[in-house]
Amino acid sequence: MEVTRLYSLLVVFLLAAVLGACVPPPAAPTQVPPTAVPPTATPVPTPKKVIFIWTQEFDTLNPLYTNMWFASITFQIWNCWAWDFDDGLNPHPVLVKEMPSEENGGISADGKTITLKLREDIVWSDGTPITSEDFIFTHKMVLDPKNAVATTYPHDLFEVEAPDARTVVMKFQEPFAAWQGTLWHGLLPKHILEPVYQRDDTLDNAEWNRNPTVGCGPFTFAEWKSANYARFVANEKYWLGRPKIDEITIRFVPDDASQIAALKAGEGDLGTFIAYTDIPDLQKANVRMVTAFSGYNEGIYFYLHPEKGHPALQDVRVRQAIALATDRASLVQDLLLGLTKPASTDYDNTPWVDPTIQPWPYDPERAKALLDEAGWKDTDGDGVRDKDGVKLELDYGTTTREVRRSTQAVFQQQLAAVGIKVNLLNYEPDLYFAGFGQGGPCATGQLDMFEYSTVAAGFPDPDTSEWYCDQVPSEETPEGSNWQAVCDPELESLLKLQTTQVDFKERQQTWWKITRMIYDKVYWLGLWQDPDIWAVGPRLKNVRLSGATPFFNILEWDVE
Amino acid sequence: MDTVETQRPALLRTTDELEAPPLSLTSLAWKRFRRHKMALFGSAMLIFLFLYSFGGMAFFSEAYANHNDLSILLRPPSAEHPFGTDQIGRDILARTIYGGQISLLIGITAMLVETVIGILVGAIAGYFGGLLDSILMRFTEALLTVPQILLLLVIAKFFTDPSRRIPDLNLLGRTLSGSVVIIVVIIGLTSWMYLARIVRAQFLSLKEQEFVLAARATGTPRWQIIFRHILPNCIAPITVSATLAVGNAILTEAYISFLGLGVQEPTATWGSMLQRAMAFHIMENAPWMWFFPSLFILLTVLSINFVGDGLRDALDPRSRAV
Amino acid sequence: MGRYIIRRLLQAVPQLFIISIIIFALLYTTVDPIAAMTGDRGKPRPETRKRLERKYGLDQPWFVQYIYWLVGNDWLMLDLDFDGIPETPGPRKGILRGDFGLSVRGPRPALEPIGEALPNTLLLMGTAEAAILGLALLIGVYSALRQYSIFDHFVTAFSFIGYSMPIFFIALFSLYIFSVLLRLLPSPARPLRTTEDFALALILPALSISFSSLAGYSRYVRSAMLEVLNQDYIRTARSKGLPRPMITFVHALKNASLPLVTLVGLDLPMLLGGAVVTETIFAWPGMGQLFIRSLGEDPAVVMAILMLIAVAVVIFQLLTDLTYAWLDPRIRYR
Repeated sequence: MEVTRLYSLLVVFLLAAVLGACVPPPAAPTQVPPTAVPPTATPVPTPKKVIFIWTQEFDTLNPLYTNMWFASITFQIWNCWAWDFDDGLNPHPVLVKEMPSEENGGISADGKTITLKLREDIVWSDGTPITSEDFIFTHKMVLDPKNAVATTYPHDLFEVEAPDARTVVMKFQEPFAAWQGTLWHGLLPKHILEPVYQRDDTLDNAEWNRNPTVGCGPFTFAEWKSANYARFVANEKYWLGRPKIDEITIRFVPDDASQIAALKAGEGDLGTFIAYTDIPDLQKANVRMVTAFSGYNEGIYFYLHPEKGHPALQDVRVRQAIALATDRASLVQDLLLGLTKPASTDYDNTPWVDPTIQPWPYDPERAKALLDEAGWKDTDGDGVRDKDGVKLELDYGTTTREVRRSTQAVFQQQLAAVGIKVNLLNYEPDLYFAGFGQGGPCATGQLDMFEYSTVAAGFPDPDTSEWYCDQVPSEETPEGSNWQAVCDPELESLLKLQTTQVDFKERQQTWWKITRMIYDKVYWLGLWQDPDIWAVGPRLKNVRLSGATPFFNILEWDVE
Repeated sequence: MDTVETQRPALLRTTDELEAPPLSLTSLAWKRFRRHKMALFGSAMLIFLFLYSFGGMAFFSEAYANHNDLSILLRPPSAEHPFGTDQIGRDILARTIYGGQISLLIGITAMLVETVIGILVGAIAGYFGGLLDSILMRFTEALLTVPQILLLLVIAKFFTDPSRRIPDLNLLGRTLSGSVVIIVVIIGLTSWMYLARIVRAQFLSLKEQEFVLAARATGTPRWQIIFRHILPNCIAPITVSATLAVGNAILTEAYISFLGLGVQEPTATWGSMLQRAMAFHIMENAPWMWFFPSLFILLTVLSINFVGDGLRDALDPRSRAV
Repeated sequence: MGRYIIRRLLQAVPQLFIISIIIFALLYTTVDPIAAMTGDRGKPRPETRKRLERKYGLDQPWFVQYIYWLVGNDWLMLDLDFDGIPETPGPRKGILRGDFGLSVRGPRPALEPIGEALPNTLLLMGTAEAAILGLALLIGVYSALRQYSIFDHFVTAFSFIGYSMPIFFIALFSLYIFSVLLRLLPSPARPLRTTEDFALALILPALSISFSSLAGYSRYVRSAMLEVLNQDYIRTARSKGLPRPMITFVHALKNASLPLVTLVGLDLPMLLGGAVVTETIFAWPGMGQLFIRSLGEDPAVVMAILMLIAVAVVIFQLLTDLTYAWLDPRIRYR
C-alpha cells in the first residue's frame, strides 16, 4: 500500500473542506444599500438600520395571493392601503384625500355608492403617478378567474369605475357596512403588471410576486433571500414624508426559543408572537413590550353538525356546562401571568359587544346540575357520564403551541371532574387549518371541540360569514368557512342584516343581539383575549403599533 | 445527514465485519464482558433505570403523574415534589417515572420491529439468493439512498395526517395514545436496513457450511434451517445492533417530538418532557424542568452505548483489546 | 474497470425507481400543494382550484401523477377551460428530461430554492464534517495509544455525552450560553449578508453538529487503531526500534484509516440533506430548513431534494469503492 496516496487523499479532502469553509457563499455580496443619504458637504450620518424578526417567512409578496399574517403586516412597509388605522383604530387617509362619508359626498344616501377622491401627489416608488387606473386594474385582477388569488372578498360585491384619474367610484348591489375595514388592502402597479398579465394570461407566475421592486409604501423593496432575510430601504418619493429609518431588514427565525434568545441578546429591534411566559425575562433585558389590540381572541368552537356532531353537544345545557366547568380566570392568571383577560365573546373590547355580557364563571356544581338536567348521568359508574348508551366523551384538538397544550391538559382535568371525558389531539398548523377538501380535522368535523385564535378578516370591522348555513363545508362547498357547522337561521338573518346597516347605531344594536346569542348558546367559548404582543428593542424610539395596520406611524420611528 | 442528527450508523456499522463466535463461547464472552468496566456500569445503570420506571408505579399513580395544579406551577424541587413541578404544576418525579416507561417501551418495541424486519429480510435474501435476493436487496439499498431522518419525516407526515388517526389502546391497565404506536412503527420502518444487510452477509457465508448442508441433506424443513440452524450463529451482530437500536429509538423519539410529531398529551416521554422545557424562560428560571428528563435520556443512551461497546468486544473473537 | 462502473450504475437504476415511487406515493397522498399555492388559509374559488389541479395533474391518481413526474405530460392535451375539448399542452417535461416540477412558492422551478440553499448547507456540513474528522483522528489515535488513561476516559465520556443527547438540547444550550449569557457570538437575529456574517453564524451550528456526532467517528478510529496496534507487523516494527511517531502515523494510522474512507464516502452525500433541527434553531438558510418547510406544502421540492441525494449516494458509493481499490492494491474490481 502506498502511504503517499492515502496522505495525499487526506490532504486534498481536508483542503477542500477548509476551502469550502472559507469561500464566501454566493449569497453574500457586501454591498452598500442604495443609500438614502444625499451627497452634501456635511459629514455623512451613519445610515439608520433596524432588524425585525419574523418567525414565519412570507409565502409571497403579492397582496392578492396570501392571507398569511406575516405577509400582510409586511405590506404595511412597502405596499399601501387606501387608508390605515392608528393604535386607537381610527382610520387615516393614505391614498385618499379624506375618508369618504355621507357629509363629504363620499357615500351616497342609499349607502350603495362609495366614491374615493385620490390625493394629487401619490406616486409609485419609481416615480409613476398612482391613478384610479391602478385601482381598476387591481379590482380586475382579483376577480379574474385566471388568477389563483387567496380570496375575492369583498371585490365580488361591487363594480368599480374611474370617471377621471383621481376618482374611484364603487357601486354595490346592497349597502355595504364593512367597507372601511375590508377595502383596498394593497394595490398593484398597473404599469408593471399589465404587460405581464397580457403576456402570461395570469399573474400567478409574475416575477413581481417575489421581487416587487416597485411599491407604494414608506419603504421600497430591495431584496429577498429565501430563509434568510428581506431588505427594504427608505422610499425617497413617499408622499407623507421620508422615514427617519434608512433601512429595515426582516430576518426569518423559525424557532420561537431562538427568537427570544436573539431579543434577549439585544439583537433584533422588533419581534412579535411572544408567549406571555417570556415577557418578564424580556422586560428584564430592557426589551419593551407593546400590546396592540388586534381583535384576536382565543376560543373553542363546538362541532354542531346535526347528524355528524356528538349528540351531547347539540344540547345547549351541555355546552353551558362545559363553559361553567372550565376555570378560565385562573388559567389567565397562572398560565398567562395575568397579562391578559378571559374572553367572553369574539368581539371583546369593540363597540359591537353587548355591554352586559360577562365571562362565564367557574362553577362546577352548576355544571353538574346542568348535565344531570340534560339527562347525561354516570349510569355505569366509570366516572364518565352517558345517555342512551352514548358516552360523554369528546375529542378536543388544537395546534402544537405550548400554551394551547397546557390549556388542554388543564381543561381535561377540570372536565373529568364533572364527568366529561376529553381526548386531546394536537396537530401541526398546516394540517390543523387544512380545509374540508384536504381533510383538515376541524373542517371535516373530526373534532368535537377545536381551539384557535380568530378575528374577523376585515378587522376592525366585525363582518364575518363563518356562521352562514351555506358556509358549512360539504362535498359541494369544500371551501366553506363554517367549520363548526352551526346553522342557526336566527343568527344568520341577524348577521346578514348587519352587513347592510350603514348606520352605526343600528348596526351596533344588531351586533349586540348577535354577540349575546353566540354567548348564551355557547356556540363559541372564549378563553382569553389574544392581542398582538410586540417586543421592541431598547434602540427603537417613537414606536406605536396598531392591531389592524401595525406600522401606521413607522415614518416617525427612529433609532438612538 | 442522519449520523449527525440521529447519530445512527457510525457505531452500528462496525458490526458489519463481526464474525459470529461459536455458541460455546458464551462463557468466554461473559468473561470478556465483565472486564469491560463501562459496560458493567452501563448494565447496572440500565437495571436501575428499568426499576425506576416500572417500580416507581408502586409509589405514584398515573393519575398523580398527570394531575395538574396551576397554583403550584414551576416550583423548584422540595420535599413534596423532589424534582419540582412543570408549567402546569405536575409533579416531575412522577412524570419521569411514567415518561420513562413510554420512552423505554418505544425504544424496545421499535427495536423489536426493526430487528424482526431486518432479520426476516436479511435471512430470506441471504438464504434463498437469486431473484428474491436481488429484489429484497435493491429495496433495502433503495431505502438507504436517502438520509434516514428525512425518510422518517416523510413517513411521519403521512401517518400523522388527520385522516389516518390511530385510536388509543389499552396496555396493562394504561391508556396509551395511538401516537405512540405510530412513532414505534415509523422508527422501526426506517431503521432496519443496516441489520438486514448484516444478516444477509452472515447467511451468505453460513449457508454453504457443512452443518447447513448436512441439515439440508437430512430433509430438515427450510424454516428450521433458517431459524434453528443458521440464525443462532448470527446472534452476536444482531445483539449488538439491537442494543444500540434501543438507544437510537429513544433519541429519535425526542427528535421528532421537537418537530411537533411526538406523543400526545397527557402521555409523556422523557423526550417530550425535554422538548416542552425548551422555552427560554424555563431554561433560565426552571432548570429542574430540563435537567431531570435530559439526565435520564443521557444515562439511558449512554448506558446502552456502553453495553453495546462491551458486547461488541465480548462477542468479537478477533477482539484482543481487553 | 469501465464495465464494472457501467454495471454498478445499471444496478442503481432500480434502486432509484423504488425509492422515488415510495416517497412519491407517501407525499402525494398526504400533501395538498394547491392550499399553499392559493395563499395561506386562502379560500380560492372552486373553479380556480379545479383549474390548478388539472394544470398540475393533481386531479389524477398518484401513480398517474408519478408518470407525469417521471416523463412529463407535454405529450398530453389538457382541458383547462373545461369545455370538453382539450386545448392546452401539459406543462411538464418530467424528471428524466431534467424538469423537477414547480415549487408552489413563487411558483418557480423546484431546483431554484434548492440552488439557493445548497451552498449554505455545503458550507455548514462541510465545516462540521471536517471538524469531526480532524478531531476524531486526533482523539481516536491518542486514546488508542493511551488506552485506559485519564485522557482516554475523559474524552470518551465527553464525546459519548454529545452522542447521547438530543441535538436540539445541545443546539439551544450552546445558543443560550454563547449568544445570550456570554454574548461571544451573534444570535440568529443577525441577517446573513457578508462573508463575516456567514463565518460567525457558522460556528455554533457546526459545533453542535460536531459535538453530537464526534463519538461515532472517534470510537471508530480508536478501535481500528487498537486492532492495528496489536498486529504482528507493528510489534515487529517496534522491536526493530523504529521511532514511535513513525510507527503510529505511517504504519498504524494508514491501515486504520482505510475503513474510515468507506465511512466518510458513504456519509458525505447524506450531508446534502442538511441538518433539519440545527438549521431551524440557528435560522441557517440550508437544505434542512427547506426540507422541513416544504414537507407539508411543496412535494415537488421534497422529491427534488431526496432524488438529488439519492443520485449523489449512488455516485459516492461507486467513488468510494474506486478510491478504496486505488488505496489498497490488493483489491481489484472486474
